[in-house]
Amino acid sequence: MLNLKNVHLAYGPITAVRDASIEVQQGEVVAIVGGNGAGKSTLLKGIAGLMPVDSGQISFENNDITRMPPHVRVARGIALSPEGRQVFSDQSVYDNLTLGAYFRRLSKEALEAEIEEQFKLFPRLRERRSQLAETLSGGEQQMLAIARALMSKPKLLLLDEPSLGLAPKIIQEIFAIIVSLRKAGITILLVEQMANMALAIADRAYVLETGRVTMTGTGQQLLHDPKVRAAYLGVTHTAA
Amino acid sequence: MLATYIQTLVSGLAIGGVYALIALSFSITFTTTKTMNFAQGEFISFGAFIGVAALLLLSGLAGGLTAIPGEAAAGWRYPAAALIATVVAGVMGVLIFLLAVRPFAGKRGMNWVMSTIGFGVILQSIGLTIWGPAPVMVPSPLGDGVLRIAGAGVRPQELIVLASAIAIMVIFDFVMRRTRIGKAMMAVAHSPQTASLMGINVNTVMIGAFALSSGLAGLAGVLIAPIASASLFMGLGFALKAFSGAIIGGLTNPRGCIYGGFILGVLESSVGLWQAQWKEIVVFSLIILVLAFRPQGLFGHASIDKV
Ligand SMILES: Nc1ncnc2c1ncn2[C@@H]1O[C@H](COP(=O)(O)OP(=O)(O)OP(=O)(O)O)[C@@H](O)[C@H]1O
Ligand SMILES: [Mg+2]
Repeated sequence: MLNLKNVHLAYGPITAVRDASIEVQQGEVVAIVGGNGAGKSTLLKGIAGLMPVDSGQISFENNDITRMPPHVRVARGIALSPEGRQVFSDQSVYDNLTLGAYFRRLSKEALEAEIEEQFKLFPRLRERRSQLAETLSGGEQQMLAIARALMSKPKLLLLDEPSLGLAPKIIQEIFAIIVSLRKAGITILLVEQMANMALAIADRAYVLETGRVTMTGTGQQLLHDPKVRAAYLGVTHTAA
Repeated sequence: MLATYIQTLVSGLAIGGVYALIALSFSITFTTTKTMNFAQGEFISFGAFIGVAALLLLSGLAGGLTAIPGEAAAGWRYPAAALIATVVAGVMGVLIFLLAVRPFAGKRGMNWVMSTIGFGVILQSIGLTIWGPAPVMVPSPLGDGVLRIAGAGVRPQELIVLASAIAIMVIFDFVMRRTRIGKAMMAVAHSPQTASLMGINVNTVMIGAFALSSGLAGLAGVLIAPIASASLFMGLGFALKAFSGAIIGGLTNPRGCIYGGFILGVLESSVGLWQAQWKEIVVFSLIILVLAFRPQGLFGHASIDKV
């Protein structure tokens, strides 16, 4: 479904992702793990079209999208819930969700129905529908960011650290939602600090180190790999 | 005495309405593109002259060098001319964005300041070639007589300006808060990157913002021409005052800019009633005071983002 071939991404002179080749099949949950500054967010930005690709190729559903602007990629079915949530703080929860479906030009009734679906998934948002997004707690903003991305009815959902700053109970909820989204047929590319949880639900995963893909395998393989455990799961070699 | 106060208040509100429209026009491009059109003064002047040209064209009358006949503005012709000036200025706004702003927008540095000023200088030279430097008296569609309201003498054009300015600002506010396109503009103002993730074509929104902003400047020119006379040098003063209004109100808050424009207009005409030569001193002292104590403007709010 998504195919990256030897992709380079840079901020001016600083190369953040080197020679990345990554593949995501229809229906999979694929995780990307790696330390701070490894280039995970940059990679997702490249896939969403927020950063120009210096070299290499990105294709989606067998079409080359390397130079496609971000708003067109959204319409093709790629949605990003960005790092740091980035909700529209000066607009209401309801309007944020409306914006998520911006390009779909839904009728008022259809829009209401889809927003209602998001409220079923994230009941806390329902009670806060008319509140400005800036008045939400961090966790609620995270839910809003995911719900907003889902409003575009994506085929591929890119999630950048959905658990960041959330209480353990909410993290459980978010992961349960990710699993249910997969069941609903949405393909997911997940970047996570909570490497153990991400690997546990992932079909496959990639390890990114200073901009390079250094390891790949099924979620279970990486979860039990001693190097991965030492580096990202806070478990030492001897303990493993 | 009361009559004088009413008179002063009405002229202050009318001129303030014009400031408010132009202040809003600055805010529209500043919020969406983080740039401003420093040729806005020339757009105002051009708006006035395009309005004059349209009045003559629509009425089939010949204009003198320094005045055009009253009938030229009668009936539907004035609103039609205002519309034409708005649209033409809007198209010019798209041009200035594509030629002088977009190449520099979002990049480090302030090249767009120089390039829009340069665009304005070019416009003014073109205007002088076409229309010459002399001011042209423009008739008001309601005539140039004086209405008596509670003993106060009010020029009908002042009421037209005030009513139009208020109507436009109410419509703008409604569009921004209630419609899909307004929410998209707010989204781009908040973050172009995130807006693009919603499937919003950010470039189109930015072009639209410049068209709207410039259209407002052109309209302001047509509205003020019967009061101030059309001249290629009239725009700069209005743009400067309006910009001050925007700063007082808070450049990032459209409503604040509108209030700022009105405050400035009323203040200016009140001080003018007392001591005309103190007008500018008081106005610009106020701006400095406001900036010293509230750098974000009276109605601007420092945004709080959760981390
Ligand atoms: N806007 C930017 N300008 C310049 N360099 C940047 C920018 N954003 C990120 N970088 C650099 O690119 C590299 C990769 O950053 P990225 O945000 O992709 O890391 P990450 O893997 O998402 O890290 P984290 O887990 O901390 O979110 C880092 O070295 C970072 O300093
Ligand atoms: Mg990151």
